[in-house]
Order: sequence, then structure tokens, then C-alpha cells
Amino acid sequence: METVKIHDTTPNDLPWKLRYDANRCTLCGSCVAACSFRAIEAKIERRRMIFSEGDLPDPRARFSAVPVIKQVNSLKNYCRGCGICEKVCPNDAIAPVRNPDTRHPIVTRCSGGDSIKRGGRKNLTGSIRTLDQLRVGRISQMTDPSLDAQRHTFDMLAPFGRILPADELPMTLGSNGKLVSNGHMPPVNSIYPVIIGDMSIGALSWRMWEGVAMAVAYLNEECGLPVRMCSGEGGVPMRLLKSKYLKYMILQIASGHFGWNRILQAMPEMIEDPAGVLIKIGQGAKPGDGGLLQAQKVAEHVMAIRGVPKTDLLSPPNHQGLYSIEESVQKMFLSFNAAFKFRVPVAIKVAASSTSVSVFNNLVRDPYNIVGGFFLDGIDGGTAAAHEVSLDHTGHPIVSKLRDCYLAAVTQGRQGQIPLWAAGGLGKTGDLAADAFKMMCLGANGVFTGKLILQMAGCVGNDQGRCNACNTGLCPAGITSQNPALAHRLDPEQVAENIVNYFLAMDQELKKLMAPIGNSSLPIGRSDALVAMDKSVADRLQVQYVC
Amino acid sequence: MAAEINGFGADKRRISTQILLQEIYTALENGETEFEILSSGHHNIGGPLWTADGTPLKFRVKNPGQRVGSFGLEGTDIIVDGSAPADAGWLNSGATLTILGDSGDTTAHCAASGKIFVAGQVGTRSGSLMKHDPAFDAPELWVLKKTGSFSFEFMGGGIGVICGIDCENFDSILGDRGCAGMVSGTLYVRGPVAGLSDDVWLLDLDEADQQFLTGGLPEFLERIERPELLATLSDMGQWKKIVARTYEERNAKGRISLNEFRLGKWVEGGIFGDIIDDDYNHVAGLVNTGDDRLKIPHWLEKRYAAPCQSSCPSFIPTQDRLKLLREGKEKEALELVLRYSPFPASVCGQVCPNLCMDACSRRFLDTPVSMKQLGMLSVNTPAPPCAADTGKKIAIIGGGPGGLSAAWQLRLKGHDVTVYEADNRLGGKLYQAIPTDRLPSEILDSEIQRMLDTGIKTQTNTKVDSALFEQIRNDYEAVIIASGAHNPVIIPFPGHELMVKGLDFLKKINAGEKPTVGKKVVVIGAGNAGMDVALGAYAMGAKKVTAIDVQRPAAFKNEIDHVEALGGEIRWPIHTDHISVRGLHTKEGELIEADMVIISIGERPDLSYVPHDWLTDRGMMNVNGCWQVKAEENVIDNVFAIGDTTRPGLLTNAIGHGHEAADYCDALLNGLEIIERKKLETIPQHRLSMELFRPRNRGQLKLHDAREETTRCISCGTCRDCSMCLEACPEAAIRRVEGPNGTFEYVSDDHICIGCGICSGICPCGIWTMEQVV
Repeated sequence: METVKIHDTTPNDLPWKLRYDANRCTLCGSCVAACSFRAIEAKIERRRMIFSEGDLPDPRARFSAVPVIKQVNSLKNYCRGCGICEKVCPNDAIAPVRNPDTRHPIVTRCSGGDSIKRGGRKNLTGSIRTLDQLRVGRISQMTDPSLDAQRHTFDMLAPFGRILPADELPMTLGSNGKLVSNGHMPPVNSIYPVIIGDMSIGALSWRMWEGVAMAVAYLNEECGLPVRMCSGEGGVPMRLLKSKYLKYMILQIASGHFGWNRILQAMPEMIEDPAGVLIKIGQGAKPGDGGLLQAQKVAEHVMAIRGVPKTDLLSPPNHQGLYSIEESVQKMFLSFNAAFKFRVPVAIKVAASSTSVSVFNNLVRDPYNIVGGFFLDGIDGGTAAAHEVSLDHTGHPIVSKLRDCYLAAVTQGRQGQIPLWAAGGLGKTGDLAADAFKMMCLGANGVFTGKLILQMAGCVGNDQGRCNACNTGLCPAGITSQNPALAHRLDPEQVAENIVNYFLAMDQELKKLMAPIGNSSLPIGRSDALVAMDKSVADRLQVQYVC
Repeated sequence: MAAEINGFGADKRRISTQILLQEIYTALENGETEFEILSSGHHNIGGPLWTADGTPLKFRVKNPGQRVGSFGLEGTDIIVDGSAPADAGWLNSGATLTILGDSGDTTAHCAASGKIFVAGQVGTRSGSLMKHDPAFDAPELWVLKKTGSFSFEFMGGGIGVICGIDCENFDSILGDRGCAGMVSGTLYVRGPVAGLSDDVWLLDLDEADQQFLTGGLPEFLERIERPELLATLSDMGQWKKIVARTYEERNAKGRISLNEFRLGKWVEGGIFGDIIDDDYNHVAGLVNTGDDRLKIPHWLEKRYAAPCQSSCPSFIPTQDRLKLLREGKEKEALELVLRYSPFPASVCGQVCPNLCMDACSRRFLDTPVSMKQLGMLSVNTPAPPCAADTGKKIAIIGGGPGGLSAAWQLRLKGHDVTVYEADNRLGGKLYQAIPTDRLPSEILDSEIQRMLDTGIKTQTNTKVDSALFEQIRNDYEAVIIASGAHNPVIIPFPGHELMVKGLDFLKKINAGEKPTVGKKVVVIGAGNAGMDVALGAYAMGAKKVTAIDVQRPAAFKNEIDHVEALGGEIRWPIHTDHISVRGLHTKEGELIEADMVIISIGERPDLSYVPHDWLTDRGMMNVNGCWQVKAEENVIDNVFAIGDTTRPGLLTNAIGHGHEAADYCDALLNGLEIIERKKLETIPQHRLSMELFRPRNRGQLKLHDAREETTRCISCGTCRDCSMCLEACPEAAIRRVEGPNGTFEYVSDDHICIGCGICSGICPCGIWTMEQVV
């Protein structure tokens, strides 16, 4: 007799169930050895058959007890659907299956009295993405192809830094007919229009972070692609700060200021300036929630780089000592321009929001020429751990908001002066070139991406609830775990190789999109190249409606 | 005499290309084969034209438009007297085109056969898409000076010769980004070349190349009227050739590997190398042995207590007893229990509520292992041999189960033990208060005799008072106070003087005094003692016994069942107001009729013989966790107190206390530090794999022989040596290692084990435990 009660947790309460075939299972142990979530275990099942073989009732019983693999019925060690069991099973005997009847969102809250936390993806599937309603519809009528990625020189550079209009450049015409500088020129770095977005040491395993850093260095040194990487707010390894590769890094500062004391300490020994500084005021995925690095991920090296003890590391609610967005932004801009003696461009990242344009308009005035970029981050992206309610329900889509900012600058005749960078679910379909291209046509100078980088590295999660366990430190791919046994699964060279190859492919694809519209430089603001197949999208973005 | 075609009409105005070309066609139809053409930028002069008899066609053109020589066929020879604009020789299919000046952009574009000679330079994209149809001769483009940028793009065949005359100061005689997408053909270049695409190789000439150039240069120079350059251009050491990479070569990656980059160019030792010990040489799989396992198995024999053992107040390891019996070691098994209790038959086998059975894991399968019968197996087992006499003297005050348990343990350790007992015989409440139909006196007598046989000294009929106690403390090295609780608790209800005290009543029965009893009896207190009283009342002739309590009765269910089977009634909550001759009056105003009311709500110890400051506020002995007596906060290290003198409990509690106190006392006498010992945690049920046991049909399960129970025991927390793990381990990482004296252990080899946890998941006894690494 089983003694199950109504409130006992059973597989149907959980988001994933096992498809398990005992007939195919050889009990090789691979699935149970590989599952980092302890969501499956070996157990014994009884088999009992009562039968009668003769011509008359002649009861016999056959009893056996067989080892099988079973799902753990636990709200703590539940199956995340990562599919590692299926991946290692030689016989296709086991796999997770999404449970449409799950009660997990309810029972977890009921039993814990606490919010649900998980890794970073929005899991509510909505309508078709705005970007997928747009096509590159203005095709040059010259022969097809009109430009060729191999034959043509494409100018693929985007500005990171404050661009002054020609009449404000601090230059005069010298007696010899050449321009001479007569003032401070704000620093501008010309970089690839796709920045690898801010994922911190701590959020990522050391192997992952170094793999990404190596990919960036390789893309620059071996492939000639000036890709930059933002450090995330988790400090930067001392060895990197003191190396020549610092020039490819954009250093991030956020409300926790993690690691900055050590960055300052390293300054006397820096042989290169960083590529820039990015002040994170807000983020697009789960805005208002901040980062959430749980204690289980605060390993020794994380403590060493961030200069903190082992504890839950939460992004504090605001920049302490700041009173308004205007004040905070100006104060931070000034400080971080000063930090590197006004040699390094400084930008901010804010959450896409109904108020983003106001913030942007304030910055566009920038009388001190210290605003080196406006990074606008929408929903649909995100890599960090956070509360599920924030991940799923807060935030603002990026497309229309980026467009609003661009058009606001156009109205003032100041477009391009504060470079606009956009993110938020770009590359969600796996095709970042198309998304980046369309965003540039709508006014972005470039885009930044994080989640897609994880997927290049081998992340098995998706935005239909698969895995999403980045917060647990049990990442089955070793990407977001600080546990050696899991981190060792990740090959940093392979991570770098994958990222390099993706960027090379994307580079070709960007050119393949620039070719048909006849642009050999980035198509910033060329919304005439886009058509919308949805009337409301067309109206909102001011692009041509087609059907 | 050549036909003269004039691009200007009679009015001196330029005629259209169409008219000019039609004039050529007309002349051709009229048999003309040589043409002198004064053009004014007219397009497409030169092809595709032919004669029916194959007579060659000759054109000399001045000032042509675009596409001069385009579509030219074999047998057509065109000389441009000066320079030509774009697309000269476009789609040349066999003509010979000589341009005596410069040629514009895309010269020889898509040329597929024939020869084009240029006396100057050519514009951008010249030579692009040249191709070689194998059915015809390969196209050739000879250029005296240089090309513009993007030359020879997507070249698919043919030969280009760029002589580089007067181009020494240029970066590249092919312009920038030459040869993009070139897949075949050969270019010969003389002079600097830069910005070539990655699709081609720049190589030295071989013999055949030199032969080709040596053979072709005279004709070229003659055609462009520069024969004086032959010597200069014939220095083969100045030439290079460009050929396309092969299909295979184009697909081979030219970049250095990430491994080469990491080890050769990246930050030496890695950016985390100063804070993490990881050289990245090792990449773990999803399934691993050794350190990268996610969990590690440990064979934790006896890390957890079996439920029977941990629930037994005497902590008897029944699983070990059954294991010995399974192994055929009957003597060792029966003796084992005596190491824990001197009363396996009297208590375990008769009067104990057997909490062990309530806890037995087997109850989840069918029914618990029958402990009573197991206890009875030891009734006639001789005492184990005592250790050699130590000469250390210990006094036990009280010859009940607790005192005798302590005496037994100490005597087995070789100590000189004296038991002081107020009654005339040993046994305490076992003897005084337990109805004999629950505990036959021959069983108790035999077990007490077994004890006495070990040499325990007794002083019966000796009630200890404070004077004697002082003397005992002086005479003995340690004292254990185990005088029990014998003062029945009375609540002073009005009429309480009418009540009979339960313990007195039971003692009289057991002493054979046959106390009189009413027909209707009310027992106040429905605990286990109350049930004993009720049974006693029925035994003495009562017709109706009602046991009442103010709360849910504390008696065990089988005790209550026993009373109810005789017609007894248990009622609660009942609050007594007063007692009268009519019976018990409740506060609710009910009269429960009775001619006898017995109160049995417990007893208090009589501890008048010990110093007052050894007692708690409630009048019990004040003891620490090692049963040592505390005077306020000071520990009297050689005086222990146990059993009902410390707290009310079961017989088995007293036996357990006695055992523990004896162990601590022994440690004290041996000069060891006395540290409270923690009991093992009970094994969690989920660690067991009981599914490996076939449930018996409860209805048919009858106990014929206590020995049969040995196979039903799951052996919780103690390895039953079944070797399931050995067989199930998918990597064959587990082996059984034999030790001395028949001991054994199972060991998992870290170098083979993958940490799957199957051993742990299937172990019937819960021995294998996975250490969680992540």
C-alpha cells in the first residue's frame, strides 16, 4: 500500500517529467552520474504478476525487484529539462518531457513562502517578434548581388565615444593648410557594431569568462574584427588588467561597484587603456531587480577579484549617494571620464522604459562632451539570476524605444553625436546579424548581446523554461557554475572557437544584408531599407507598410 | 584596300552606333574583310562577325566606344589605334584585340578565348570573370603596365600577363584587392604586388611558365610595337605567378588554432592563473571518474541506527542480533542482547510495549519483526563471562529494573557490585506491580537468578536512609541511585480519603494478599499503570471497570485493547469534582457510580535520604547528561541517579539508564574523562530499498519460529552482505574486502567509479551514501 497524500510532491507537480523506458535501459549509470541537479536517482521498483497457467484457476505469483532510474520528487532537486540525461544515454532510454500540467509555479510558492528565482530568460512566449515583422525590403535594383562581401571594402565600424559635429571640433586651420588641435578631443573608439554584453566573473565560470575574453582577443588579433567585450560588474582579473588585451575590454561599473577597488589598484601597472567604461544604471531584462549572485557561486576567485566575502551578492538598489537620474548620470559620467584622465570613452546602460527618451534627451545636450554612448537595454535578453516575476513580467521591448531615441536625436539634428547601442533579446532566433542590421536601420549605432554568447558556448537552456538554472551554480554545461566538477566540463578554447566562428559568420551575414541595400558602411538610420508587414509596427516605427 | 567606315555623317555629325555597325555589316556582306574605322565612341565594334569562307577579318579602329572587340570570334583581328574605354574585349570568344594605348575598366571581362594585348595599363576589374572553356584555347590578356584595383576577380580560367613596365613606384601592379574570388587560371606578374585576396598563391615560375612567357612575349611586344623591351622582360627572375588555391585549400582554415593562440599569444598562464589552479588541459566529459564526479559513494556501515535500535530505550541492536542468527551464530546472538539488558525475556519478551516494533521498517511491507519472541529466545541463555575482578566497589540503591541493569553491566565489567533493596526480594516493580499473567514469575526469577549467578551482592530488606546513604558513600567508590518512584500521587479532591492508591493495590495483588475489590471500579488515570490497575481489578473480581483521564489516555493501544476486551471502558476528558460513597462526581455534574475508586496517576520517588540540594524543584534527582548527580550546578562525579528517580519512564527506560550510567561509571573508575555519548541518528526510511523484499501476505503471516524472523529483517543501516551493489555497479568499481575475524567491507574504486549512485539507490540497507560534490 502506498501512503501518498494529496500534498506530497509527485512528478506531475513538476515542470518536467521523465520519459523512461526500463526495457531500453542498461543501467549504465551515465544519466545519474551526469545530472547536476540530482533530479534523477537509481531506485528499486517491484514487479509482481499474478497468473494462472493451467486449465483451472491455479494462482501463481511472480515477484521481482528491479533497479530503475526515477525522477526525484522534490521541489528542490527537480528536473530542469536540461536534457543532459538524454544526451549521455546510449540507448535513448531517458529524456525530459515538458509537463503542460505542471503545478510547479504554485506549489513552489506555497511551500517556500518565497519568490521563485531562476536563471535569466523571459519564459512567457508572446506574439511574433517585432523584428521578425520587418524585412530588408529596399533592394538595390543594380544586378544581384549589387555588392559582394568578398569584393567590397565594407566599413563595419561603430563609434564608442562622444562624436562632435564638425563645427564643434576643437580644431583650427593652421598656416600650412592643415588642421591643428586647439582643445580636448573627446575619445572615440571605432569598434565592431556588436559588443559582447556585460556578464560578470561570478555569474560566469572562470573558464567561460576567459573563453569569451580569448575569443575577443582572437577576433581582434587574428581576424581583424575589432570586437569589444564588456566586463560585467564583477571585477576584472589582475593579469588581464595589466596585459595589452585590456584595450579590448569595456569595464563596467554598477551599483555594487564590485571589483573597482582592484581596478584602481592596477592602474599604475596598466600598459593599455581599456576600450571604454560602461556605467550600468539599469538593465533591460528584469529591470529593477538587479543582479543576484547567490552565495553558492561566490567561489574563492570571485571573492579574490571582487574583494568580497562569501555571501549572496545582490546589486544594491541604487547608486548610493545619488538623488536623481540626471544627477547620478552626470556625476558618474564625470567620475569615470576623470578616472582615466578623459582618455577613455564612457557610456551608460539604461533599461528601456517609457522614460528612456527623457534620459536620452538630457544626455544629448551634454555640454561637457563626456557622454560617450547610450546603451538601451530591452526585455527578452538577460543572463543573470533573478526573480521569476521580474524576468517574466517587467521590462520594455527594445525596438520602438530605440527608434524613439533615435528620432528624438534626429529632431534636434544631433543624431550620431551620442552613439546609441541597443540590446534585449537580439539574436533570440539564433540570427544576430539580421537583428543587428534591422536595429541599425532603425537608428542604433550597434548592438550588444549576452545570452546568445552563452548559447554559442553550449548553453542548453531556452526561453520555454528549459534549464534556466544559472542561479543554482549547477549549470550542466559548466558555463555558469563555479563548481570545479561542472566548470571542468567546459572547454574554454572551444568556447572561444565557437564565438570566433559565430562572429565570422555573422560578419559575412551583415555584409550580405548591407549589399542588397547598397551600403558599404553601417546602415545607421536607414529605415527606408526596411519594410514592415504589420501595419501597427509600420506606423509605430515610421517605416513603410507592405503586404 | 580596306573599307573605310566613318563615324561621322555627311553633315559632320556623329552617326549612331546602330548605323555605324550596320555600315560594317553591309560592307561585310559586300565581301569586305578589312576595315578602317574612324569611330566617335561607338560601342561594340568588332564582333561577333565572321566570313562564310573563313577569310580573316581585320579592323583598325580609332577612338572606339565601350566594348570594342566584344563578342569577338576566332579569325577577327582588331587593332585599336590609341586607347580604349571600358569593357574592351568583353566576352572575347576568339578574336585578337590589340590596344595600342591604355584600356579602360573591366578590360577582358568574361573573356573566354582569344588574345588581348594592351600597350599601356588597364582599369579596375580588368580580367574579372575570365574563364576557360576546355573546347577552345584559353583566353589571354597581356598588359604592358598594370591593372586597376579589383583585377581578375572571380577569374575562372585563362592567362593574364602584367608586365609592370614603368610601375616600379606603385605599391601593386594589380591595384588593391586583386584576385578576389579567383578560382582558376594563371597570372604572370612582374613588379610589386600587394593586397591580394586570400584566395590565391603568389609563386615562383616553373619551367613551363618560363616557356610560355618566352614564347609569348615576342608576339606581344611586336603587336604593341615595343620590341625593344624584350630583353628587359625576358629576365625570368623578375616574374612571379599567381594561381588560385585549390578547392581543398580554400576550405582549409588558415587561422592559427585557439590552442596555439592561448598558449602562444594570450596572457601567459591564463588571466585566472594566479588565483585558480586550472591549466585548461583537462576538459571533463559529462560522465567522469575521479575528481570530476558529481557525487562520490561511501560505504557507511552502521553510520545510522536501525529504527528498532534507536527507538529502544535500552538501545538494543536487534538488527545485529538477527544478522548473527542469519549467519547461524545463535550463541553470539543470544548473548548479544544480554550485553544490553539482563531482562530480554521478562521485559522484551513479556511486558515491554516494544517500541522497536512500532518503529520497525518492515511494518511498511507487511508486519514488524516479532521482537517478543526474539526476546524470549534468550530466557535460558547463560550469562556471558564477567571480566576479571577489578576490586572496585559500587553500591546500587534499588533492586528494580534500573538498578539491576546498572549492577549487571558493572558486574560484567568485573566490578564488585552491591545492590541495596528495601523489599525482601529483587525485581522492583517488575516483581511488585506487574500482574503475573503479564509476567510469569518463573521467567523473572530465572533472569534474576542469572544475574545473581554472576556474583552481584545484595542487601535486601534494607531501606536506605540518610545515615546509611552517607555510610555507603564512604564505603563505595561510586553509588548509583535507582530507588524508583513508590509514593503514589494523590489529588486532594473532597472525599480523597475514600480512594485506594493504585500502586498499593497492585503490590498487594502481587504479594498474594488478594485485596478486596468493588463490583464497579473507577480508575483515575488511564496510563499504562492505570491499565495494569484495571486488569488487577478484573482479576480480583470486579464486574465493571471505568478508567478516566483528563486528557487523551497515555496508555499504549494494546494495553487499552486488553482492558476493553474485558469490558472495561476508557473515558476522557473527565474532570473529577469529588468522591463519595456513591462513586466519582465529575465537574460536569455526572456521577460515575462506583463502590471503589482507585487513583493511578503516577508515583513520586522517595528521596529523603539524599541531600536536599541534589533534587530538582519537582523533587526528582538532578542529573546531567551522563546521569551524574548535580548539587545545584556542581557535579557529584561518583554519584549517579537513574530511572524513575530522575523522570517517569518505562521499564525499558530504566534498563537503558542503568546501562548508560554503568558505562559512565566504569569510565570514571578507569580514570577516563566522562563525555556524554551521542546516539546514532535513526536511518531515514528513504535510504532503504525495501522494494527488494517481497511482502508477505499479512493474513497468512504466522510466526512459527523466531528464527524465521531473521530473514524478514531488512537490516536497516547494517550491511546484510547481499552484494546487490557488487552486481549492480555498471562500472564494476565495487569490491568486497575481507578483514580479520570474519569482518568485511565493500569498497568503491575512485578511479573506476563514475558517481552514478546506483549502489546507493539500490542498497537494501541504506549503507551506500553519496557524498554530494556539487
